[in-house]
Amino acid sequence: MKRSWTRWARAVTVGTVGLALVAACSGKSGQDSGAADGQVTLKINFWGDFGLQDLKTTYEAANPNVKIQLNSGEYNAQHEDLQKKLVAGSGAPDIAAIDEGFMVQFRSQSDKFVNLLDKGAGGYESKYLPWKWKQSLSADGKTQIGLGTDVGGLAMCYRTDLFKAAGLPTEPDQVSALWPTWDRFIEVGQEYTGRSNKKFIDAGSNLFNPILGQQPVGFYDQQDQLRMEQGPKIAFDYTIKAIEAGLSANLATFQADWDKGFTSGSFAVLACPAWMLGHIKDTAPGTQGKWDIAAVPGGGGNWGGSFLTIPKQSRHADEAYKLLEWLVQPEQQIEIFKKVGNLPSQPALYSDPAIADFKNPFFSDAPVGQIFPKMAQGLTPQYLGKKNGPTRVAVENVLIRVQNKTLKPEAAWAEAVKEAEKASTS
Amino acid sequence: MSTTRAAPASSGRRAAAGRHGPGTDPDDRRLSWRDRLYRFDMRYMPYVLIAPFFLIFLVFGLFPLVFNGVVALRNYRLDDPTLTGWAGLANFRQLFGDEDFWNALYNTFGIFLLSSVPQLLLALIVASLLNRRLRAQTWWRVGVLLPYVTPIVASTMVFSVFFSRDFGMANWVLGLFGIGDGEPINWRADKLHAWIAIATMVNWKWIGYNALLYLAAMQSIPRDVYEAAAVDGAGPWRQLWRITVPMIQPVIVFTVILSTIGGFQLFIEPMLFDLNAQAATGGPDGEWQTIAQLIYKVGWKDLNLGYAAAMSWALFLIILVVAGINTLLTNRLSGGRSR
Repeated sequence: MKRSWTRWARAVTVGTVGLALVAACSGKSGQDSGAADGQVTLKINFWGDFGLQDLKTTYEAANPNVKIQLNSGEYNAQHEDLQKKLVAGSGAPDIAAIDEGFMVQFRSQSDKFVNLLDKGAGGYESKYLPWKWKQSLSADGKTQIGLGTDVGGLAMCYRTDLFKAAGLPTEPDQVSALWPTWDRFIEVGQEYTGRSNKKFIDAGSNLFNPILGQQPVGFYDQQDQLRMEQGPKIAFDYTIKAIEAGLSANLATFQADWDKGFTSGSFAVLACPAWMLGHIKDTAPGTQGKWDIAAVPGGGGNWGGSFLTIPKQSRHADEAYKLLEWLVQPEQQIEIFKKVGNLPSQPALYSDPAIADFKNPFFSDAPVGQIFPKMAQGLTPQYLGKKNGPTRVAVENVLIRVQNKTLKPEAAWAEAVKEAEKASTS
Repeated sequence: MSTTRAAPASSGRRAAAGRHGPGTDPDDRRLSWRDRLYRFDMRYMPYVLIAPFFLIFLVFGLFPLVFNGVVALRNYRLDDPTLTGWAGLANFRQLFGDEDFWNALYNTFGIFLLSSVPQLLLALIVASLLNRRLRAQTWWRVGVLLPYVTPIVASTMVFSVFFSRDFGMANWVLGLFGIGDGEPINWRADKLHAWIAIATMVNWKWIGYNALLYLAAMQSIPRDVYEAAAVDGAGPWRQLWRITVPMIQPVIVFTVILSTIGGFQLFIEPMLFDLNAQAATGGPDGEWQTIAQLIYKVGWKDLNLGYAAAMSWALFLIILVVAGINTLLTNRLSGGRSR
């Protein structure tokens, strides 16, 4: 007995010592922000290029006690990382950028963010596009978790060379006049495919989403109840009509075939927010001058846009708010627009010459500083439910199945309702 | 149990040291510093040396496993912090009625069959080829291992483009043989094509690795067995199945278990094969959604961690059962030498 006990004792002793060693090694992992000399390090998490590099230098020069740490990551990874850190209770940055697609999810956890209204952000409400302000406001309207940076706006980018070859007009005004409504848009598409024997749009989902965005009620009403029979049905029917007419190239956005399609002419027109212009230019540099931009059928629209938030975990919430407030001031927003083309979400800036007179040479000198603001302002604010993201994916998947011909168009709506309900309760 | 007292001679003390509890020996006082150090070295050093592994396993292996079990029995939703508390077996009960789970299980099993069986058979053939006298032997042997060295994400991204519908190489090659001339194959539209594409990625990566394992085992088979078989008129094919396979059976069982575990945890390939990878739905109708992918979706997309944990445990049990069955089957098929 004794023998086996001592063996245990040995194992436990060694184990404890070992653990102590591990603990000793990892004991030093405390935050190094807020060092003794009053220095404050503010960490900002975002994705892609927010145009902050030069602004960081300017701000640090003006505020010698502040160091800014820019941490750019991948779009989805940043949001998932933020969610994990919020649950874990530590590790979140001082300022976290959140895209509108993820905003609903984080807005419903507004207790984990600093309420910017407490910091005096209420004065900015009148400066923002009303729907932009509402997007990051908690459901009860008492907590504002973020201030808007950019909006996407929405227009239609089209290939002038392909339009010309199909005998369609190429001037933006004439093209915009071609399709005041989505019905007309589909007819124009049929004309195009009939004459060119090519596909007109890139994907059914890229028709569905802009149309849905123009409806007064999206997937969910204010009570977070699924409302498939109103807005979604209208957008779905148009999309099925377009697919049945053979307009869709059935490509998945941001994928190899889709990127290739920009150069090869797999499609002639696509829904195009402000930030998409950079993507087209980077993917298909050889198509310079072959693109132009027209209005989106059915009025305004928006796709994408971001917010800056301060997680409650931040130990320097006051300094973080100071920086955030500085970043959304007109001078900085215009600086960012010039640098990376992100369109500010404060309408007063749209009349600023730096934006209003801006023309994009890649897109046949289209007056983008005029087009996108108009679209962003024309949008009716739509409530996005908590489950908006998964529901959208579920319905898009049904559309893809119709495009793949693995689901009959007649059966598609019933399937879409079923899948949406499943997503809303998952 | 009583312990015999150690003999006073120092050599006897050393011999008996291992059987003594620490500090019980009255002779301890008279031990020199060197002796104590030697004693410590003999008694404790082995434990100290293996401790890091067990500590790391404890922190990153056992703790997550147990904690996962706890979470599986609770309500744990990230998007609804108010919903907490014990759920009992509700999460597991939900599992049985969840058609997504059964669909994912079906997919996982299908891809597993399409990958593991050809993979191990081809590895066996490759290994027996490499076991012959070849020119530039080392070059070939390193060559088959190259896919294994390639980062899995990188190779999957390339394969994902390879299996594109419109401009993919796979369709181009098939087109040379007149397949899919009228309408190119949409690799992401139905189960069979998606499974084949994903199984191809898995096979490409693991054939070489398994072949090298087999090769190592084959080289320990004495040559004279083959010579005797050749004298008796057994051809290469017969030698492979009658001599090689039975004699490397333990390694085969090992690779079967490994590929079962790997196959049932398949995640990166199906994830990145999806054009809309972020949704983690594994195709528009879950055509190739594996269980690991579904767990990820339920946990980090639907934000239902309790249910995801229950799925993980179910997956753990399924792997245990399938690995057990596979071991039995392999034992029988590959000669059935009882051990």
